[in-house]
Amino acid sequence: MDHIRVVNLDVGYGDETVLRNLNFVIPPGMITVVVGESGSGKSTLLKALIGLNRPLAGQVFWGGERIDYDSEHSLAALYRRIGVLYQNSALLNSLTLYENIALPIRIHRHSTPRSDESARVHEVLGMVGLRGADGKYPFELSGGMRKRAALARAMVLEPEIVFCDEPSAGLDPLTASGLDELLRTLQGSHGMTFVAVTHELRSIGRIADRVLLLQGGGIRFDGDFKDVAGSGDEYLRSFFLLKDEAP
Amino acid sequence: MKLKEDLSRFFSLLADEIYATGQYLRNRRGVLPGAVVQQLFVMGYKSFPIVALITFLVGITISLTSAAQLEMFGADIYLADLIGLAMIQELVPLMTGIMLAGKIGASITAEIATMKVMDEIDALRTMGVVPEKFLMAPRLIAITLVVPLLVAMADTVGVAGGVIVARVALGIPPGVFLREVFTVVTLGDFLTGILKTLVFGWAVVVGAGFKGFFIDRGAEGVGKATTESVVLAISLIIGLDCVFAFVLY
Repeated sequence: MDHIRVVNLDVGYGDETVLRNLNFVIPPGMITVVVGESGSGKSTLLKALIGLNRPLAGQVFWGGERIDYDSEHSLAALYRRIGVLYQNSALLNSLTLYENIALPIRIHRHSTPRSDESARVHEVLGMVGLRGADGKYPFELSGGMRKRAALARAMVLEPEIVFCDEPSAGLDPLTASGLDELLRTLQGSHGMTFVAVTHELRSIGRIADRVLLLQGGGIRFDGDFKDVAGSGDEYLRSFFLLKDEAP
Repeated sequence: MKLKEDLSRFFSLLADEIYATGQYLRNRRGVLPGAVVQQLFVMGYKSFPIVALITFLVGITISLTSAAQLEMFGADIYLADLIGLAMIQELVPLMTGIMLAGKIGASITAEIATMKVMDEIDALRTMGVVPEKFLMAPRLIAITLVVPLLVAMADTVGVAGGVIVARVALGIPPGVFLREVFTVVTLGDFLTGILKTLVFGWAVVVGAGFKGFFIDRGAEGVGKATTESVVLAISLIIGLDCVFAFVLY
Protein backbone atom coordinates (compact mmCIF):
# COMPACT_ATOMS: atom_id res chain seq x y z
CA MET A 1 0.00 0.00 0.00
CA ASP A 2 1.23 3.53 -0.78
CA HIS A 3 2.28 5.61 2.18
CA ILE A 4 1.12 8.87 0.70
CA ARG A 5 -1.20 9.46 -2.26
CA VAL A 6 -1.54 12.97 -3.59
CA VAL A 7 -4.61 13.76 -5.67
CA ASN A 8 -5.09 16.92 -7.78
CA LEU A 9 -3.01 18.96 -5.36
CA ASP A 10 -2.40 22.71 -5.85
CA VAL A 11 0.18 24.34 -3.60
CA GLY A 12 1.43 27.91 -3.25
CA TYR A 13 1.41 30.95 -1.02
CA GLY A 14 -1.59 33.21 -0.53
CA ASP A 15 -3.20 33.71 -3.93
CA GLU A 16 -0.15 32.53 -5.85
CA THR A 17 -0.28 28.92 -7.08
CA VAL A 18 3.22 27.49 -7.50
CA LEU A 19 2.34 23.89 -8.43
CA ARG A 20 -0.94 22.74 -10.00
CA ASN A 21 -2.82 19.50 -10.26
CA LEU A 22 -0.18 17.22 -8.78
CA ASN A 23 -0.88 13.49 -8.68
CA PHE A 24 1.70 11.08 -7.31
CA VAL A 25 2.36 8.45 -4.66
CA ILE A 26 5.13 7.95 -2.12
CA PRO A 27 5.78 4.21 -1.87
CA PRO A 28 6.96 2.71 1.44
CA GLY A 29 10.52 1.53 2.12
CA MET A 30 12.07 3.69 -0.61
CA ILE A 31 13.87 6.97 -0.94
CA THR A 32 11.86 9.33 -3.13
CA VAL A 33 13.77 12.40 -4.21
CA VAL A 34 11.94 15.57 -5.25
CA VAL A 35 14.12 17.50 -7.67
CA GLY A 36 13.83 20.61 -9.78
CA GLU A 37 15.43 23.92 -10.55
CA SER A 38 15.57 26.68 -7.95
CA GLY A 39 12.09 28.16 -7.61
CA SER A 40 10.37 25.11 -9.09
CA GLY A 41 8.35 24.60 -5.91
CA LYS A 42 10.23 21.73 -4.22
CA SER A 43 10.22 23.30 -0.76
CA THR A 44 6.67 24.57 -1.24
CA LEU A 45 5.54 21.01 -1.96
CA LEU A 46 7.48 19.67 1.04
CA LYS A 47 5.93 22.29 3.31
CA ALA A 48 2.47 21.31 2.09
CA LEU A 49 3.11 17.60 2.66
CA ILE A 50 4.32 18.18 6.24
CA GLY A 51 1.43 20.49 7.08
CA LEU A 52 3.33 23.78 7.34
CA ASN A 53 1.65 25.28 4.30
CA ARG A 54 -2.00 24.49 3.71
CA PRO A 55 -2.62 23.17 0.14
CA LEU A 56 -4.73 25.47 -2.02
CA ALA A 57 -6.71 22.58 -3.51
CA GLY A 58 -6.68 18.80 -3.78
CA GLN A 59 -6.21 16.06 -1.27
CA VAL A 60 -3.45 14.12 0.43
CA PHE A 61 -4.16 10.60 1.67
CA TRP A 62 -2.05 8.78 4.20
CA GLY A 63 -2.64 5.02 4.00
CA GLY A 64 -6.09 5.72 2.62
CA GLU A 65 -6.97 8.29 5.26
CA ARG A 66 -7.35 11.91 4.12
CA ILE A 67 -5.28 14.51 5.92
CA ASP A 68 -7.43 17.45 6.98
CA TYR A 69 -5.08 20.42 7.07
CA ASP A 70 -7.71 22.52 8.86
CA SER A 71 -8.03 20.09 11.73
CA GLU A 72 -5.64 20.27 14.70
CA HIS A 73 -6.31 16.61 15.43
CA SER A 74 -5.50 15.52 11.89
CA LEU A 75 -2.28 17.55 11.90
CA ALA A 76 -1.31 16.25 15.36
CA ALA A 77 -1.79 12.70 14.04
CA LEU A 78 0.32 13.57 11.00
CA TYR A 79 3.12 14.95 13.20
CA ARG A 80 3.22 11.72 15.21
CA ARG A 81 3.86 9.78 11.99
CA ILE A 82 6.56 11.90 10.38
CA GLY A 83 10.05 13.14 11.14
CA VAL A 84 11.60 16.13 9.40
CA LEU A 85 15.25 16.90 8.75
CA TYR A 86 15.56 20.62 7.97
CA GLN A 87 18.14 22.25 5.76
CA ASN A 88 19.44 24.30 8.72
CA SER A 89 19.21 21.28 11.04
CA ALA A 90 16.87 23.41 13.19
CA LEU A 91 18.15 22.02 16.48
CA LEU A 92 17.24 24.19 19.46
CA ASN A 93 20.46 25.95 20.43
CA SER A 94 19.46 26.37 24.07
CA LEU A 95 19.16 22.59 24.56
CA THR A 96 21.81 19.88 24.60
CA LEU A 97 21.79 17.21 21.93
CA TYR A 98 20.17 14.80 24.39
CA GLU A 99 17.41 17.30 25.24
CA ASN A 100 16.85 18.10 21.55
CA ILE A 101 16.41 14.45 20.66
CA ALA A 102 14.33 13.68 23.75
CA LEU A 103 11.97 16.61 23.05
CA PRO A 104 9.57 14.71 20.73
CA ILE A 105 9.37 11.88 23.30
CA ARG A 106 8.61 14.35 26.11
CA ILE A 107 5.91 16.01 24.01
CA HIS A 108 4.21 12.94 22.51
CA ARG A 109 4.95 10.24 25.08
CA HIS A 110 5.19 12.27 28.28
CA SER A 111 4.64 9.23 30.49
CA THR A 112 7.73 7.47 29.09
CA PRO A 113 10.08 6.55 31.99
CA ARG A 114 13.36 8.46 31.92
CA SER A 115 15.31 5.19 31.58
CA ASP A 116 13.39 4.26 28.40
CA GLU A 117 13.77 7.79 27.07
CA SER A 118 17.51 7.68 27.69
CA ALA A 119 17.82 4.25 26.04
CA ARG A 120 15.98 5.45 22.91
CA VAL A 121 17.95 8.71 22.66
CA HIS A 122 21.25 6.84 22.93
CA GLU A 123 20.05 4.25 20.43
CA VAL A 124 19.29 6.84 17.73
CA LEU A 125 22.49 8.73 18.53
CA GLY A 126 24.32 5.45 17.92
CA MET A 127 22.45 4.92 14.64
CA VAL A 128 23.70 8.26 13.28
CA GLY A 129 27.22 7.83 14.66
CA LEU A 130 27.01 10.41 17.44
CA ARG A 131 27.34 8.18 20.49
CA GLY A 132 28.91 10.15 23.33
CA ALA A 133 27.93 13.58 21.98
CA ASP A 134 24.67 13.77 23.94
CA GLY A 135 25.91 16.46 26.35
CA LYS A 136 27.05 18.84 23.64
CA TYR A 137 25.12 21.89 22.47
CA PRO A 138 24.32 22.28 18.74
CA PHE A 139 26.69 25.25 18.41
CA GLU A 140 29.56 23.01 19.54
CA LEU A 141 29.04 20.65 16.58
CA SER A 142 30.16 20.75 12.95
CA GLY A 143 27.57 21.16 10.17
CA GLY A 144 27.65 17.44 9.37
CA MET A 145 27.22 16.45 13.00
CA ARG A 146 24.29 18.85 13.37
CA LYS A 147 22.61 17.25 10.35
CA ARG A 148 23.15 13.78 11.87
CA ALA A 149 21.77 14.97 15.19
CA ALA A 150 18.74 16.46 13.45
CA LEU A 151 18.24 13.14 11.66
CA ALA A 152 18.40 11.36 15.03
CA ARG A 153 15.70 13.73 16.34
CA ALA A 154 13.59 13.10 13.23
CA MET A 155 13.82 9.33 13.81
CA VAL A 156 13.41 9.18 17.58
CA LEU A 157 9.67 8.44 17.49
CA GLU A 158 10.16 5.79 14.79
CA PRO A 159 8.19 7.75 12.18
CA GLU A 160 6.70 6.11 9.12
CA ILE A 161 8.34 8.67 6.83
CA VAL A 162 11.29 11.00 7.29
CA PHE A 163 11.18 14.15 5.13
CA CYS A 164 14.55 15.72 4.36
CA ASP A 165 14.91 19.28 3.05
CA GLU A 166 18.20 19.61 1.18
CA PRO A 167 19.99 17.06 3.39
CA SER A 168 23.46 17.62 1.94
CA ALA A 169 23.22 21.40 1.38
CA GLY A 170 26.05 23.38 2.93
CA LEU A 171 28.21 20.32 3.58
CA ASP A 172 31.59 19.54 2.07
CA PRO A 173 31.54 16.67 -0.50
CA LEU A 174 32.91 14.07 1.93
CA THR A 175 30.48 14.93 4.73
CA ALA A 176 27.60 15.10 2.22
CA SER A 177 28.55 11.68 0.90
CA GLY A 178 28.67 10.33 4.48
CA LEU A 179 25.19 11.67 5.19
CA ASP A 180 23.84 10.16 1.96
CA GLU A 181 25.36 6.81 2.91
CA LEU A 182 23.72 7.09 6.31
CA LEU A 183 20.29 7.65 4.70
CA ARG A 184 20.91 4.65 2.44
CA THR A 185 21.98 2.49 5.38
CA LEU A 186 18.93 3.47 7.44
CA GLN A 187 16.64 2.79 4.50
CA GLY A 188 18.33 -0.55 3.84
CA SER A 189 18.66 -1.85 7.39
CA HIS A 190 15.46 -0.46 8.91
CA GLY A 191 13.26 -0.31 5.79
CA MET A 192 12.62 3.37 6.43
CA THR A 193 10.81 5.61 3.95
CA PHE A 194 12.47 8.90 3.07
CA VAL A 195 11.30 11.83 0.97
CA ALA A 196 14.21 14.13 0.19
CA VAL A 197 14.14 17.49 -1.54
CA THR A 198 17.42 18.34 -3.21
CA HIS A 199 19.04 19.62 -6.37
CA GLU A 200 22.49 18.15 -5.68
CA LEU A 201 23.04 15.73 -8.57
CA ARG A 202 25.67 13.64 -6.77
CA SER A 203 23.39 13.27 -3.80
CA ILE A 204 20.46 12.27 -6.02
CA GLY A 205 22.63 9.61 -7.66
CA ARG A 206 23.62 8.18 -4.31
CA ILE A 207 20.26 8.03 -2.59
CA ALA A 208 17.35 8.07 -5.05
CA ASP A 209 15.13 5.05 -5.64
CA ARG A 210 12.43 7.19 -7.19
CA VAL A 211 12.54 10.66 -8.66
CA LEU A 212 9.86 13.33 -8.88
CA LEU A 213 11.05 16.13 -11.16
CA LEU A 214 9.15 19.41 -10.90
CA GLN A 215 9.10 21.85 -13.79
CA GLY A 216 6.81 24.61 -15.05
CA GLY A 217 4.34 24.35 -12.18
CA GLY A 218 3.82 20.60 -12.48
CA ILE A 219 5.48 17.18 -12.50
CA ARG A 220 7.78 16.58 -15.44
CA PHE A 221 8.91 13.08 -14.47
CA ASP A 222 7.71 10.61 -11.86
CA GLY A 223 9.42 7.25 -11.85
CA ASP A 224 12.31 5.06 -10.84
CA PHE A 225 15.71 6.70 -10.85
CA LYS A 226 17.10 3.90 -13.00
CA ASP A 227 14.65 4.90 -15.75
CA VAL A 228 16.04 8.42 -15.98
CA ALA A 229 19.03 7.37 -18.08
CA GLY A 230 16.76 5.70 -20.62
CA SER A 231 14.37 8.61 -20.98
CA GLY A 232 14.12 10.53 -24.21
CA ASP A 233 12.85 13.68 -22.51
CA GLU A 234 15.32 16.43 -23.41
CA TYR A 235 14.60 18.48 -20.30
CA LEU A 236 15.04 15.47 -18.04
CA ARG A 237 18.29 14.51 -19.75
CA SER A 238 19.66 18.04 -19.57
CA PHE A 239 18.66 18.36 -15.90
CA PHE A 240 20.61 15.22 -15.07
CA LEU A 241 23.47 16.23 -17.41
CA LEU A 242 22.85 13.25 -19.70
CA LYS A 243 23.09 15.21 -22.98
CA ASP A 244 25.84 13.12 -24.52
CA GLU A 245 24.20 9.77 -24.09
CA ALA A 246 21.11 9.67 -26.28
CA PRO A 247 18.99 6.57 -25.57
CA MET B 1 -3.80 47.51 4.62
CA LYS B 2 -0.51 46.57 6.33
CA LEU B 3 -1.76 48.04 9.63
CA LYS B 4 -4.99 46.05 9.38
CA GLU B 5 -3.03 42.85 8.68
CA ASP B 6 -0.61 43.58 11.56
CA LEU B 7 -3.46 44.25 13.97
CA SER B 8 -5.19 41.04 12.92
CA ARG B 9 -1.96 39.05 13.43
CA PHE B 10 -1.26 40.76 16.77
CA PHE B 11 -4.67 40.00 18.23
CA SER B 12 -4.79 36.45 16.88
CA LEU B 13 -1.33 35.79 18.41
CA LEU B 14 -2.50 37.38 21.66
CA ALA B 15 -5.55 35.09 21.70
CA ASP B 16 -3.35 32.04 20.92
CA GLU B 17 -0.95 32.94 23.72
CA ILE B 18 -3.70 33.46 26.30
CA TYR B 19 -5.35 30.19 25.27
CA ALA B 20 -2.01 28.32 25.28
CA THR B 21 -1.05 29.69 28.70
CA GLY B 22 -4.43 28.75 30.16
CA GLN B 23 -4.14 25.29 28.63
CA TYR B 24 -0.64 24.85 30.09
CA LEU B 25 -1.80 25.96 33.55
CA ARG B 26 -4.56 23.33 33.37
CA ASN B 27 -2.62 20.29 32.12
CA ARG B 28 1.08 21.23 32.52
CA ARG B 29 1.93 19.90 29.05
CA GLY B 30 3.56 21.31 25.94
CA VAL B 31 6.27 23.24 27.77
CA LEU B 32 9.69 22.02 28.85
CA PRO B 33 9.94 21.25 32.58
CA GLY B 34 11.86 24.05 34.31
CA ALA B 35 11.12 26.61 31.56
CA VAL B 36 9.12 28.87 33.91
CA VAL B 37 11.86 28.82 36.55
CA GLN B 38 14.45 29.63 33.91
CA GLN B 39 12.38 32.61 32.74
CA LEU B 40 11.89 33.75 36.34
CA PHE B 41 15.67 33.82 36.66
CA VAL B 42 16.15 35.76 33.41
CA MET B 43 13.29 38.22 33.92
CA GLY B 44 13.57 38.63 37.68
CA TYR B 45 17.03 38.04 39.05
CA LYS B 46 18.83 39.44 36.00
CA SER B 47 16.57 42.52 35.76
CA PHE B 48 16.74 43.50 39.44
CA PRO B 49 20.09 45.39 39.33
CA ILE B 50 19.29 47.58 36.31
CA VAL B 51 15.71 48.33 37.44
CA ALA B 52 17.02 49.20 40.93
CA LEU B 53 19.75 51.46 39.58
CA ILE B 54 17.44 53.33 37.19
CA THR B 55 14.62 53.89 39.69
CA PHE B 56 17.12 54.98 42.36
CA LEU B 57 18.63 57.54 39.97
CA VAL B 58 15.18 58.74 38.88
CA GLY B 59 14.22 59.09 42.57
CA ILE B 60 17.29 61.24 43.23
CA THR B 61 16.85 63.36 40.09
CA ILE B 62 13.17 64.11 40.70
CA SER B 63 13.90 64.87 44.36
CA LEU B 64 16.75 67.26 43.54
CA THR B 65 14.78 69.21 40.91
CA SER B 66 11.68 69.39 43.15
CA ALA B 67 13.51 70.18 46.40
CA ALA B 68 14.80 73.53 45.10
CA GLN B 69 11.28 74.62 44.10
CA LEU B 70 9.57 73.42 47.28
CA GLU B 71 12.23 75.04 49.49
CA MET B 72 11.41 78.45 47.96
CA PHE B 73 7.86 78.16 49.31
CA GLY B 74 8.86 76.58 52.64
CA ALA B 75 7.08 73.41 51.60
CA ASP B 76 10.09 71.10 52.10
CA ILE B 77 8.13 68.27 53.70
CA TYR B 78 5.86 67.96 50.65
CA LEU B 79 8.86 66.47 48.85
CA ALA B 80 7.86 63.21 50.59
CA ASP B 81 4.32 63.45 49.21
CA LEU B 82 5.60 64.22 45.74
CA ILE B 83 8.17 61.44 45.66
CA GLY B 84 5.87 58.87 47.27
CA LEU B 85 3.00 59.44 44.87
CA ALA B 86 5.07 60.11 41.74
CA MET B 87 7.30 57.08 42.18
CA ILE B 88 4.68 54.57 43.27
CA GLN B 89 1.88 55.60 40.94
CA GLU B 90 3.75 56.69 37.85
CA LEU B 91 7.51 56.62 37.60
CA VAL B 92 8.23 53.10 38.88
CA PRO B 93 5.63 51.46 36.58
CA LEU B 94 6.81 53.53 33.61
CA MET B 95 10.55 53.07 34.18
CA THR B 96 10.19 49.36 35.00
CA GLY B 97 8.10 48.86 31.87
CA ILE B 98 10.66 50.65 29.71
CA MET B 99 13.51 48.67 31.30
CA LEU B 100 11.63 45.43 30.62
CA ALA B 101 11.06 46.52 27.00
CA GLY B 102 14.78 47.11 26.48
CA LYS B 103 16.05 44.12 28.37
CA ILE B 104 13.40 41.38 28.21
CA GLY B 105 11.43 42.39 25.10
CA ALA B 106 14.50 42.75 22.90
CA SER B 107 15.89 39.39 24.00
CA ILE B 108 12.56 37.59 23.45
CA THR B 109 12.26 39.01 19.92
CA ALA B 110 15.89 38.26 19.04
CA GLU B 111 15.55 34.68 20.29
CA ILE B 112 12.24 33.90 18.57
CA ALA B 113 13.20 35.70 15.34
CA THR B 114 16.47 33.75 15.17
CA MET B 115 14.57 30.51 15.78
CA LYS B 116 12.20 31.44 12.97
CA VAL B 117 15.05 32.19 10.55
CA MET B 118 16.79 28.92 11.45
CA ASP B 119 13.56 26.91 10.87
CA GLU B 120 13.40 26.01 14.58
CA ILE B 121 9.80 27.26 14.84
CA ASP B 122 8.80 25.07 11.88
CA ALA B 123 10.71 22.17 13.47
CA LEU B 124 8.77 22.62 16.72
CA ARG B 125 5.50 22.64 14.80
CA THR B 126 6.30 19.45 12.88
CA MET B 127 7.27 17.79 16.17
CA GLY B 128 3.72 18.49 17.30
CA VAL B 129 4.82 21.29 19.62
CA VAL B 130 2.74 24.48 19.64
CA PRO B 131 5.41 27.21 19.49
CA GLU B 132 3.07 29.85 20.94
CA LYS B 133 2.68 27.67 24.01
CA PHE B 134 6.21 26.24 24.18
CA LEU B 135 7.87 29.67 23.95
CA MET B 136 5.34 32.17 25.26
CA ALA B 137 3.49 30.47 28.13
CA PRO B 138 6.57 30.28 30.40
CA ARG B 139 7.37 33.92 29.67
CA LEU B 140 3.86 35.17 30.37
CA ILE B 141 3.70 33.21 33.62
CA ALA B 142 7.17 34.40 34.65
CA ILE B 143 6.46 38.08 33.97
CA THR B 144 3.25 37.82 36.00
CA LEU B 145 5.13 36.41 38.98
CA VAL B 146 8.14 38.69 38.69
CA VAL B 147 6.47 42.09 38.26
CA PRO B 148 5.06 42.45 41.83
CA LEU B 149 8.52 41.72 43.26
CA LEU B 150 10.23 44.09 40.85
CA VAL B 151 7.73 46.86 41.63
CA ALA B 152 8.07 46.42 45.40
CA MET B 153 11.84 46.60 45.11
CA ALA B 154 11.75 49.56 42.70
CA ASP B 155 9.28 51.48 44.92
CA THR B 156 11.60 51.01 47.89
CA VAL B 157 14.72 52.04 46.01
CA GLY B 158 13.03 55.02 44.31
CA VAL B 159 11.72 56.38 47.61
CA ALA B 160 15.15 55.74 49.13
CA GLY B 161 16.57 58.16 46.55
CA GLY B 162 14.11 60.77 47.84
CA VAL B 163 15.06 60.01 51.46
CA ILE B 164 18.73 60.67 50.72
CA VAL B 165 18.08 63.98 48.91
CA ALA B 166 15.65 65.10 51.63
CA ARG B 167 18.27 64.40 54.32
CA VAL B 168 21.24 65.92 52.49
CA ALA B 169 19.64 68.89 50.70
CA LEU B 170 16.75 69.82 53.00
CA GLY B 171 17.81 68.33 56.34
CA ILE B 172 14.60 66.28 56.70
CA PRO B 173 15.22 63.20 58.90
CA PRO B 174 14.45 59.87 57.16
CA GLY B 175 11.86 58.91 59.80
CA VAL B 176 9.86 62.10 59.20
CA PHE B 177 10.11 61.71 55.43
CA LEU B 178 8.89 58.11 55.50
CA ARG B 179 6.06 58.90 57.94
CA GLU B 180 4.84 61.56 55.47
CA VAL B 181 5.14 59.10 52.56
CA PHE B 182 3.02 56.52 54.41
CA THR B 183 0.47 59.20 55.24
CA VAL B 184 -0.22 60.07 51.59
CA VAL B 185 0.43 56.78 49.84
CA THR B 186 -2.28 54.17 50.29
CA LEU B 187 -2.28 50.42 49.69
CA GLY B 188 -4.50 51.15 46.67
CA ASP B 189 -1.75 53.33 45.15
CA PHE B 190 0.76 50.52 45.63
CA LEU B 191 -1.55 47.93 44.06
CA THR B 192 -2.37 50.29 41.18
CA GLY B 193 1.37 50.58 40.51
CA ILE B 194 1.66 46.80 40.43
CA LEU B 195 -1.36 46.44 38.13
CA LYS B 196 -0.02 49.06 35.72
CA THR B 197 3.42 47.43 35.60
CA LEU B 198 1.84 44.03 35.12
CA VAL B 199 -0.10 45.28 32.10
CA PHE B 200 3.07 46.94 30.76
CA GLY B 201 4.98 43.68 31.28
CA TRP B 202 2.36 41.68 29.37
CA ALA B 203 2.46 44.28 26.57
CA VAL B 204 6.25 43.91 26.40
CA VAL B 205 6.14 40.10 26.23
CA VAL B 206 3.24 39.88 23.76
CA GLY B 207 4.67 42.67 21.57
CA ALA B 208 8.09 41.00 21.58
CA GLY B 209 6.56 37.64 20.63
CA PHE B 210 4.60 39.31 17.82
CA LYS B 211 7.74 40.89 16.34
CA GLY B 212 9.64 37.61 16.71
CA PHE B 213 7.03 35.31 15.18
CA PHE B 214 6.23 37.61 12.24
CA ILE B 215 9.76 38.56 11.24
CA ASP B 216 10.71 39.17 7.61
CA ARG B 217 12.98 36.30 6.63
CA GLY B 218 16.77 36.67 6.84
CA ALA B 219 19.39 37.58 9.41
CA GLU B 220 18.87 41.27 8.63
CA GLY B 221 15.27 40.84 9.71
CA VAL B 222 16.34 39.76 13.22
CA GLY B 223 17.99 43.13 13.96
CA LYS B 224 15.08 45.01 12.43
CA ALA B 225 12.52 43.01 14.41
CA THR B 226 14.45 43.52 17.66
CA THR B 227 14.56 47.29 17.22
CA GLU B 228 10.90 47.40 16.23
CA SER B 229 10.03 45.27 19.24
CA VAL B 230 11.49 47.85 21.65
CA VAL B 231 9.78 50.73 19.84
CA LEU B 232 6.46 48.85 19.82
CA ALA B 233 6.74 47.96 23.52
CA ILE B 234 7.55 51.52 24.59
CA SER B 235 4.72 52.88 22.42
CA LEU B 236 2.30 50.36 23.93
CA ILE B 237 3.48 51.27 27.46
CA ILE B 238 3.02 55.02 26.92
CA GLY B 239 -0.37 54.46 25.26
CA LEU B 240 -1.58 52.15 28.02
CA ASP B 241 -0.27 54.58 30.66
CA CYS B 242 -2.36 57.28 29.07
CA VAL B 243 -5.42 55.01 29.20
CA PHE B 244 -4.72 54.30 32.89
CA ALA B 245 -4.45 58.05 33.56
CA PHE B 246 -7.88 58.64 32.00
CA VAL B 247 -9.45 55.76 33.91
CA LEU B 248 -7.84 56.29 37.31
CA TYR B 249 -7.52 60.07 37.77
